[in-house]
Amino acid sequence: MSALVLLSVLGVVLLYLGLFSGRGILAPVGILGLLAALVLFAADWHLESTLFGGLVIFDTYARSFSLVLVVVTVLLFLFGMDYYAKVRENVAEHYALMVFSLVGGVLICSFTNLVMLFLGIEILSIPLYILAGGKRDSFRSGEAAFKYFLQGAFASGFLLMGLALIYGATASFDLAAIEAWSAVTANGGNMLFLLGLFLTLAGLAFKVAAVPFHFWSPDVYEGAPTLITAFMSTVVKTAAFAAFYRFIANIQLPGAVENMLVVMTLFTLFLGNIVALRQTQFKRLMAYSSIAHTGFLLLAFLGTDGRTPDVLFYYLGTYALATVGLFIVLTLAKRAALGDENIRIFRGLFRRDPWIAIAAMLMLLSLAGIPLTAGFVAKYRVFVLGIANGFIWTTLFAVLMALVGIYYYILVIREAFTPQDQESKELAVAPINWLVISLCGAGVVALGVWPGLLRI
Amino acid sequence: MIAALLLLIPCISALALVILRPAQARPIALVSTLASLAVVVFAWISYTGGMVLHYDLDWMNAWGLRFVVGYDGVGLLMLILTAVVFPFIIGAGYGQQHDRPAIFNGLLLFTQTFLFGVFLAQNALLFYIFYELTLIPVFFVLLYWGGENRRNITVRFFIYTLLGGLSLLFGLVYLLIQSGGNGDFTALQALNIPGGTQVWLFWILFLAFAIKLPIFPFHSWQPETYYMAPLQGTMVLGAVMLKMGLFGVYKIVFPIVPLGVEHWQSTVILLALIGAVYAGIIAFRQSDFKRLVAFSSLSHVGVLCAGLFAWNTYGISGSLYQAFAHAILVVGMLYLVGAMQERVGSTDMNAMGGLKSSMPRLAALFLLVLVNAVALPLTQSFVGEWLMFAGLWQVDGWLTLLAVSTIVLGAVYMLYAYQRVMLGPDRANQQLPDATTRDHLYLVPLIAVTLILGVHPGPILELVDAPVLQLLSSLSVN
Repeated sequence: MSALVLLSVLGVVLLYLGLFSGRGILAPVGILGLLAALVLFAADWHLESTLFGGLVIFDTYARSFSLVLVVVTVLLFLFGMDYYAKVRENVAEHYALMVFSLVGGVLICSFTNLVMLFLGIEILSIPLYILAGGKRDSFRSGEAAFKYFLQGAFASGFLLMGLALIYGATASFDLAAIEAWSAVTANGGNMLFLLGLFLTLAGLAFKVAAVPFHFWSPDVYEGAPTLITAFMSTVVKTAAFAAFYRFIANIQLPGAVENMLVVMTLFTLFLGNIVALRQTQFKRLMAYSSIAHTGFLLLAFLGTDGRTPDVLFYYLGTYALATVGLFIVLTLAKRAALGDENIRIFRGLFRRDPWIAIAAMLMLLSLAGIPLTAGFVAKYRVFVLGIANGFIWTTLFAVLMALVGIYYYILVIREAFTPQDQESKELAVAPINWLVISLCGAGVVALGVWPGLLRI
Repeated sequence: MIAALLLLIPCISALALVILRPAQARPIALVSTLASLAVVVFAWISYTGGMVLHYDLDWMNAWGLRFVVGYDGVGLLMLILTAVVFPFIIGAGYGQQHDRPAIFNGLLLFTQTFLFGVFLAQNALLFYIFYELTLIPVFFVLLYWGGENRRNITVRFFIYTLLGGLSLLFGLVYLLIQSGGNGDFTALQALNIPGGTQVWLFWILFLAFAIKLPIFPFHSWQPETYYMAPLQGTMVLGAVMLKMGLFGVYKIVFPIVPLGVEHWQSTVILLALIGAVYAGIIAFRQSDFKRLVAFSSLSHVGVLCAGLFAWNTYGISGSLYQAFAHAILVVGMLYLVGAMQERVGSTDMNAMGGLKSSMPRLAALFLLVLVNAVALPLTQSFVGEWLMFAGLWQVDGWLTLLAVSTIVLGAVYMLYAYQRVMLGPDRANQQLPDATTRDHLYLVPLIAVTLILGVHPGPILELVDAPVLQLLSSLSVN
């Protein structure tokens, strides 16, 4: 598939550009390359092209998720123009590593072979270990990178072990073969297969930060540079979920594994939301709320029917849109507050810049799931799936947890619309940032009113 | 056309106010609400009965959401109520000093848009969306223009109300799946849900409205919020928003889970009346005028809810009729609170007293508003209360006695308040200005509505009777 090649080449080109010319053209070149990839992804929409001898297949599912990944990366690169404006060194490496990570993301959206799943996850993750430590002189950033690497390595180990066990049981890495095998020996007591599934799911759960594999996320979110945090909570999360669903979609899950998913959903919903209540640092709040959203997405996994991929796609796309915008607003407010990340820095945002405050409000309302924003439609669809597939009590619990979620998002909105006590620095909004924030803010409303715009 | 106008007039004016921020924000808002009123009056005149559907458009059909708007008699009554009350709410701003009046009035108009949406919606999800949306502008009104301790009280109000909202959403999703993904009220009402399910589903659905009204024991957000809110915010909350609770019970709870209603009827009536008596007693002990109005509203709402759950023609019609009377009453009382605050400088009744000597006209107006509050014959409230008691009587004599006792309590605390504010030795001991032209312009129409509809309740009751009868007969068939 030409888009995949293009993206890989783009990464290399960006690296070389960093050697030879100024930083000014990095982001434009990157964006142009990504847009070209976008065109290539969209060009032959209905063709199902296989690659690498059938290890990868670009079907509609893969193409849709790849499109979202690329679009969100474009938004982040636009943000990067301003974000990296004052950074002296290693800017090219950052862009290039993000593109490489994106390649991994595209691969795990489209794998049909477990070997490719593992390779994709590694391609996705290894650049992230470096990026998380992107601020070289910052202690926290180094800590984030180290923690992420250590735990990520463990998760990869789990995943690999799980894949090996599945191979041991089914004698194949091919997804279709495994599905066929699981259908024949439905709910069979094959311990090898069961254990393999457990370990594989644990590895994937680590990537989507589901409880109890979430411990890395708050620290890494907080320590990593904001742009990278935004990248992790949008692109990486979307890709990981796409892979997760692709893996379990057609496998006949044994009862024990299904129970494990239910328990994981409940704990993820509970812990993510409740712990987020106590957060005062915005990035940690976003980290825990990200865990909470993982819980809602897992609920969509439980009730798997024909509508699930569409629901996941919509949820992840709109979540990414709101999250990117909010992280940009955070960066702006953080600069005005001289590096503070407490949610207090949003105080008086409405006075300082009404439009940014309103856009931020829309994005927060969307994350909270208030009607007429995309977040509401997303949550609503998840609830419908949950109840339609018989998980009434789990859904009721999720509804309660959604209320808790609304509470901590509202607290941030409250800060933005409370007049501040003393004057603080003006908010300097670069036009490019203004544009991205406006796009995200308008996007969540538009997608909330016309949900049909974003579907597989 | 009517539905489109009702949704667009306030929405466009609100957008214009918020974006352009003209200096003359309040007159523009007033004109907008009067235009909406004209549209509603036209709708009333041309209404011939039955269900009037205006739009039936696809939106998200696969997920049960369709844009279906229209109204029956009860819906029209609620539209009339909203349209009549809002010019007064905007007009009350003339006595108030506001930071950023354009945005404030814009938010009020957004609230009106969404309220119209709630009363027009004929699709459960559309109803839910508008129902939740009404909270957003009110949230900002309270947060930005509220009184002391507004940050915490506003968030508590918001979360408390959303708790009910999300419970309602859960119930609606459950119903939607039973109906095969059709979210129109007609489809949901045709469902035959097993009795056992209805017993728990009743509370899932009713919780939202119980909190919105609020009835005991879901009321703890109400007094503080009413007290802290800016005057016009309290008017919106007390006069119109809580009517969404009554409307929701009529529209969703009664037709969809009738067996659940039958099961819990006496419990709800008892809770509502306990709340009514309890709030009445507390109101008596208040020394602050605005708090007193808040608790009196809480007491009235208890009776409204009990009347509704009497579950017969008298009770339901009376309750819906009284909803209108209550809206007019709340606006009138709160305007008086504002007028007093303007003159005395606080809403503390201990700082007042003997004001009648310096402001006889205002005292007279006060008394005229007050007779409605104590449901004196020939006022609007009398009609409503009488119907509700007649309805309750068919359920249980003792409960009726409890309900009637709230009237006595109401008379006591209202007259006691009047005494403390207007009568007695002149403690303020200064010449305060009497009722101005503005006060007359404001209060006289309100009093006129009260008296006219008290003597001649026919037009409103006609609107309500047919749909209520139809509802009850359709239930007895099932």
